Amino acid sequence: MRTVEVLFVIIILLGALLMAIQFAVLPSPQQAFGTNLRELSKSTVETLDGKGILTETVFKNSSDPAWGDLQKALSASLPPNVVYNLSVYDISTSSGGVINYHLANSISDASFGVDSEAASLLATSPNVTFTITPEKVGEKTGENNTLYILNCNDANGWWIVGYSAQTLALDLHNLLSPYFQTTVLVNSTYELGLLLDGTLLTGGDGETVENAVVINTFGESVPIPSGYYTTVGYDPDATYKYAKYSWYLGQITNQYNWTWVSIVGYPFYYVTNTAYFENDHNGWGIYGMKQVNQAGVNAFLQGLSNQSYTYNATGITGRPGVVDLSSEALDLCNYYGVYPAPYQTSDRALHSSILSTHNLVATEIFDRALPPNEDYIPAATYKHTGGGALTAIGLTRTPDIRVSVLALLMYYRPAVYKSEFGASCTSRLVTLQLGQQGGT
Amino acid sequence: MAGATIDHMVAVTILIAALLLTMGIYNQMFASAVAYEGNRKVAMKAVDIINTACLSPGNPEDWGEKNASLLGFGLQDPQVGGYALSPYSLMRLRTSSNDSQLVEYPPDSGLFYNNISANYGHDILSPVGDCLNYTAAAKMLGINGTYGFRLDIVPTLDVNVSQVLGYGHLVLNVEVHGSGLPLSGAALNYYLFHINKTAGSDYPSITRYPTNPPGVAHTNPSGSVDIHFSNVTDDDPSYSFTVYVSLGGVTGVGYYTHNTIDSESQYIIPLIQDFDDGKIIIAHNWDGVTPAVTYNATFFVLTSDFQLHPIQIDNSTGLLGAENPYNTTQVRAYEVGLLVISYLTPEDDMGSVILPWGIGTLGVPTSFGGDPTGYSFVATELRQVSIDDISYQVKVSAWSLSG
Repeated sequence: MRTVEVLFVIIILLGALLMAIQFAVLPSPQQAFGTNLRELSKSTVETLDGKGILTETVFKNSSDPAWGDLQKALSASLPPNVVYNLSVYDISTSSGGVINYHLANSISDASFGVDSEAASLLATSPNVTFTITPEKVGEKTGENNTLYILNCNDANGWWIVGYSAQTLALDLHNLLSPYFQTTVLVNSTYELGLLLDGTLLTGGDGETVENAVVINTFGESVPIPSGYYTTVGYDPDATYKYAKYSWYLGQITNQYNWTWVSIVGYPFYYVTNTAYFENDHNGWGIYGMKQVNQAGVNAFLQGLSNQSYTYNATGITGRPGVVDLSSEALDLCNYYGVYPAPYQTSDRALHSSILSTHNLVATEIFDRALPPNEDYIPAATYKHTGGGALTAIGLTRTPDIRVSVLALLMYYRPAVYKSEFGASCTSRLVTLQLGQQGGT
Repeated sequence: MAGATIDHMVAVTILIAALLLTMGIYNQMFASAVAYEGNRKVAMKAVDIINTACLSPGNPEDWGEKNASLLGFGLQDPQVGGYALSPYSLMRLRTSSNDSQLVEYPPDSGLFYNNISANYGHDILSPVGDCLNYTAAAKMLGINGTYGFRLDIVPTLDVNVSQVLGYGHLVLNVEVHGSGLPLSGAALNYYLFHINKTAGSDYPSITRYPTNPPGVAHTNPSGSVDIHFSNVTDDDPSYSFTVYVSLGGVTGVGYYTHNTIDSESQYIIPLIQDFDDGKIIIAHNWDGVTPAVTYNATFFVLTSDFQLHPIQIDNSTGLLGAENPYNTTQVRAYEVGLLVISYLTPEDDMGSVILPWGIGTLGVPTSFGGDPTGYSFVATELRQVSIDDISYQVKVSAWSLSG
């Protein structure tokens, strides 16, 4: 009887043992001690595509010899006990928006066992070009702003070291003309005089003097047309006698609702006309220009804010030093694809007191410097509440015109329409599946 | 009564036997599970270490290029990202596991250099004080005293170069092997640095064949190719040869040097003085036996398309001997390349040495860490990486120090 009971106990013990064996399954040797195949696969795909060769290959016809090279490269890279399968899927989007994956090609060196791991890479065809279509400035409001770039052949620049105004004009034309309905190069001070008088320079469709953007590529000097403007812009009682010309520029900017752009340094610090000032120099040996000093920017702001002209040469700039692009400006760098250095040195920054004295609203592109320089604005577009604006980039030389471009785009905010990334037959999914030989 | 006792005895005996059997089996199962868990931990630690080494540049991230002290370990190239390792950080690893492997220069001076050596005449000798040692790296990884590790960084492709005699001019055979198989159809970009004595000059000259673009060849189905230099006779020439190999995204480097000097002694030794500034000491052997030699040094920057461009350096020529044991020069610290130094003895024998500035420029292999010998379980992890656009494999071995 006891023996029968013991037999029952033994059956229970063995049953428990069998159940324990059944459930306590140890992992396979590959899982326990094998290398991490997924990470190995990922690193293999990444390094093979280090110079873009994998991407180039997967878009080629399956009979192209490049596939053979890829197979050799895979065999040469992976340990002998690791087998692989590289599959390439074409990604397409159906009319209903459903994304489909179709096997385009596949290479492998052996069949897998039970276990395998895979990593993938999304490849974009090297032949694909992505187009962007910018919205024109003023398109929404019906203003259709015209871009005027000063390119005068009878004027000299200052603080545009290493460049000429003409090369800067060409670069600005390339960067900004896609955003404007019409772009006009102002090729002489005579043409500038016509423009200041409200005359269209090309007479072509789309050119409008009102609401225009005028970029002065001459740095700290401003071209001045001889004749009327050298007469009315002359103040015989002032130390710097051509400051009044800047007042006229401010008045006209306000009248036509222009945005006047100064790309570097002090705005309106000199006036330039190589014929009219043939025997005058700016104090640094550059002939064809006269110094106006800070009376120029004071006079312009008076004109912009519809104040009467009063000679004032008081300094209104400071040197905050190294400043950083604001986070908003950095976002816009990515949006517009314009990438100036995010850190710049500002030593001609306008004092923020001008905002209240001249009724201006500033769109700033740099964060302000720390105290005691927090009241200086390194670069901004100052809009007068009654019309007209001044973009003043108070950075040190040599000018980076991308900062001016960014300031303008930040002020006008034209939209950019980009082509779809997932266009049909432009993307392929590459998967590399790895397994270890000799396993179960 | 006796029958019942016997019945009990038999039952108890069978029960004890069954208990012992099942306990033994359970014991084995538990032991296996515990061992598995322990090994799994080691394997996970190996994954941690290789991920940290390959996917983190360390702190500061450009520590390989600066003299600044290191706060966090990592070898990733911060300018490339992904699975790309910094050629500079790798030069700052103390690969010698004991002091006997260090190079003391000058002899008995107490100044020691870590030696990352490709082979004779192709060394990277770095000041030991500027190198990161294994213990410090283990502390930064948080495993000091608990786990040991070793990093082995070796080129993916094996490129062998040998001279073929009997042609009357210089012929070099290049063999390329991948993981156990010859690599056919691989594209080769090569340069020969021919060392010669120019008439009327005291210094040896370095003539590059070709100049730029580099020579181009392809391996045959057996993975090899003969490269002929018809303008260099095979009458015991002195030269260095460098070849860059690529196929389907995998790249490799091979090199070969032949000197007319029979001596085993290396007459000129380039030593890294400062990583930040790229300062190099071009030193004489200083063994009291080697005669004074003149030298001619050129730094070649390696571009991303495997072209070498010569750059002028200070003290590019000079006379080194007992009177003037060394000169100092400077290479472009942030551009990888090869410092090729040729030298000429009073007997007109010539030789050359190459300092690879950046591990990948000569495909130098390196190892860093402890010795796994004697540990019961060592987990390994493998990754593909690139260094200076050259394909490498990184293997991490990890083991538990607690037994």
